[in-house]
Amino acid sequence: MSFVDNTCIIDDDPICVFGLKRTLKEADFSKNIIAYTNGLEAINGFKTLLNQGEKLPSIVFLDINMPIMDGWDFLEDFVKIPNVNRDYVHIYILSSSVDSRDIIKAKEISAVSNYFIKPVTKLDLHKVIAELSTQ
Amino acid sequence: MFIFIKKKQILKLISPLHSLSAFPFAIAIIDLNFHIKDYSEIWIEEFPFPKNGTEISLKNLNILSEKLIKCINDVASNHVISYKKIEIKSKNNNWYSWNIAKAIDEEGNISGIILSAENITYQKREIQLLNNAVQVAQIGSWELDLLSNKLYWSSITKYIHDLTDDFIPSLEQGINFYKPGKHREKIAKLVNNAITSGKPWDTELIIITAKNVEKWVRAKGEVEFVNGKCIRVFGTFQDINKQKLKDLKYNEVTNRLKIATKTARIGIWEYNYENKHLFWSNEMFSLYNIDKQKFNGHSSFWNQSLHPDDKEFCSKKIEECLAKKEDFEIEFRIIVPNGKIRHIKSVACVELDSSENNIVKLVGANWDISELIHSKLQLSKTEESLQQAFENSSVGMALISLEGNWINVNSSLCNSVGYSKEEMIQTKITNITHPDDLSKDTEFLKQMHLGEISNYTVNKRFYHKNGSIITANLTVTTVKKVSGHLSHFIAQLIDISPMIAAENKTKSLLEITKNQNNSLLNFAHIVSHNLRSHATNLLMLTNFIKDETDPNEKAHLEVMLQNASESLNETVHHLNDVVHISTNAEENLRSVNLFNSVKRVKKNISAILEENNAKCVINIPKNLKIKAVPAYLDSILLNLFTNSVKYKSEKRDLVIELNFKIKNDDVILYFLDNGQGIDLERHQNKIFGMYKTFHQHKDAKGIGLFITKNQIEAMNGSITVESIVDKETLFILTFKKAEQIKN
Repeated sequence: MSFVDNTCIIDDDPICVFGLKRTLKEADFSKNIIAYTNGLEAINGFKTLLNQGEKLPSIVFLDINMPIMDGWDFLEDFVKIPNVNRDYVHIYILSSSVDSRDIIKAKEISAVSNYFIKPVTKLDLHKVIAELSTQ
Repeated sequence: MFIFIKKKQILKLISPLHSLSAFPFAIAIIDLNFHIKDYSEIWIEEFPFPKNGTEISLKNLNILSEKLIKCINDVASNHVISYKKIEIKSKNNNWYSWNIAKAIDEEGNISGIILSAENITYQKREIQLLNNAVQVAQIGSWELDLLSNKLYWSSITKYIHDLTDDFIPSLEQGINFYKPGKHREKIAKLVNNAITSGKPWDTELIIITAKNVEKWVRAKGEVEFVNGKCIRVFGTFQDINKQKLKDLKYNEVTNRLKIATKTARIGIWEYNYENKHLFWSNEMFSLYNIDKQKFNGHSSFWNQSLHPDDKEFCSKKIEECLAKKEDFEIEFRIIVPNGKIRHIKSVACVELDSSENNIVKLVGANWDISELIHSKLQLSKTEESLQQAFENSSVGMALISLEGNWINVNSSLCNSVGYSKEEMIQTKITNITHPDDLSKDTEFLKQMHLGEISNYTVNKRFYHKNGSIITANLTVTTVKKVSGHLSHFIAQLIDISPMIAAENKTKSLLEITKNQNNSLLNFAHIVSHNLRSHATNLLMLTNFIKDETDPNEKAHLEVMLQNASESLNETVHHLNDVVHISTNAEENLRSVNLFNSVKRVKKNISAILEENNAKCVINIPKNLKIKAVPAYLDSILLNLFTNSVKYKSEKRDLVIELNFKIKNDDVILYFLDNGQGIDLERHQNKIFGMYKTFHQHKDAKGIGLFITKNQIEAMNGSITVESIVDKETLFILTFKKAEQIKN
């Protein structure tokens, strides 16, 4: 049985999305996986889900550098979506950047649960599972 | 001697004798017509008649004066006055004392006039002489009779005391006229001494006269002894005030002169031409450092001290002047016995005899001018070195009058401003001062005039002759006159333009360095992110391929690997573009015609513009030139044009408008389109970042504006953006204006 029902990937890099999806499947992490190519698409998708009365994905893997709306802007807009139980949604930042400034910035945002440097490995996913299980 | 005869006596005499001839004095009777009726023998002696005719009229005699006629008429016509006495000087310069009386007949009528005359010429002259003598000498006499204790003063004595003739002095009064204090004490002592010991005195003292005037008098006194007892003291009294005051004055002046010459160390000498004797005052000896005892009064004495080098010209000069009998001034050196050299100035006057032909003597003064000479030498040395320092200083220096005119300028200053010395002196400092800096030191100048400060330093800009601006560090110092008032200013100008240029260069280098540093940091970030993301993907994909068993899935992975490699390659190309921009832009800057560049770029993309039905409005003058790297400018314009096309609004046809503005050294280009606009509130910070796209367009790569910004900054320009979403986007580009000279 999968660890969670719905997981969302927001990343403009198709290879990265492909890789993460494959890893998630191998780890049997999630029943369903939704992917958006940028922040705006994700916000709009979330709004549609809510309008249809569906639950938001409980895990979100968010890339930082994206066209149109990047990860930071997504976070800004995300907290503005009305009636969202943010505690329910765990957002993990994904970045290929090893720049400490990005890591520090990410950790300062309360909505962000953790920060992963790409590529996300099975080991990383086990960490997430362990973390969420203890809560 | 005057003989007074009463009227009645005369009448008695006349009656019995019927003749006046026997009267022992000059007497005559005249009728009312002035005819002489009778006369004495003495009369005829005194006033001889002319020997013609019997009728002798008084009018024929030269003794009759107007004054006498008046007196006779007065007596004859006046009933009250019957007698008159008068002294008249006759025409022959004799003095007569006249007695005039009426002659009455038996009936009591006036029958004539009786005249008697006494020749008093001798007495008159005596008195006159005495008066004159007394007047001249102002010598009065006095006498004290110790037996009767009476004091007698002559009228001159009284006169000296400012007293009238009728004043009768007492002994006490006499003493009290002397000025209280030492004068009065002295006379009292002298008189006492004389009375007791018989010692005469002769002294000069001050009296205070009846009119309260101080006067110097010479009082002489002697005593007369009879039987060892003093019976009389007498003497003379002389007004010596004028003389005494003169003497005192003279003494004072002489004394003053003596002190002056002594303290001023002025030696006085006198050379008697006749007996060849030389006189030296004491100061001369100290001046020449010679023992007075050794002085022989010989004219050669002076010569011995004279410096050998000065001997010839001195004697020559003196001879010349003596030949012309002229006063002279001469400066020479002497060697004093201790071997030291003194500079002496000598002034000499020639005194001639009454014929003015022969020199009687020479009188002169000598004084030591060594200090003056040394000061002069010192001064000229200082002046010379100052002049040298002024002229050769690497600092621009000038003397400036209170009115701001150049008095003198040195060559450094001339070099700094490009004018010649002559040109400079014709002009004022204000004429070459930058107008904005004219009032920069007004407050300082005011304080200088008030004496509150004596110098100040400011930075001022001046114009070089060629029109360029020189920034100078100006230090102004005041120079005062002896009176303490301001005389002029000394200005020192250090041209700090090169320093400022260097400083600006350093500043701009620093700015460039900072920017480059920022770019590098940014670049490092980009590299770390973008290259790493590709590397990550490649690593991930190869791992998948390695583990994959399904051939279909493996093929799929291989395609993805291919794509990832291409992306990496593309990114590397982009990064290379960016790196290339910043390295050597500065030296490739050239003057580029903006209008032509815009036209060319527009032409290159004319197909796309036409396809999109775009309209371009280009409001740029054809001759506007900017400093640019042509390839960058083309790239920037191309990027802006294609962006406008890419992000045009679907709701309307694209209109692109280019405007410009010139501001100082900058050319500002406004690139406006009516496209989709950018949400600046959200994207302000990222718009010119790498791999940022804000539109969902298939061609959006997020590299264009990043490169544009880098290119324009490499050309010392800048780019900013203003936008209203769904209305317009305005890019504002700033370039450096190309200088007119270069082309």
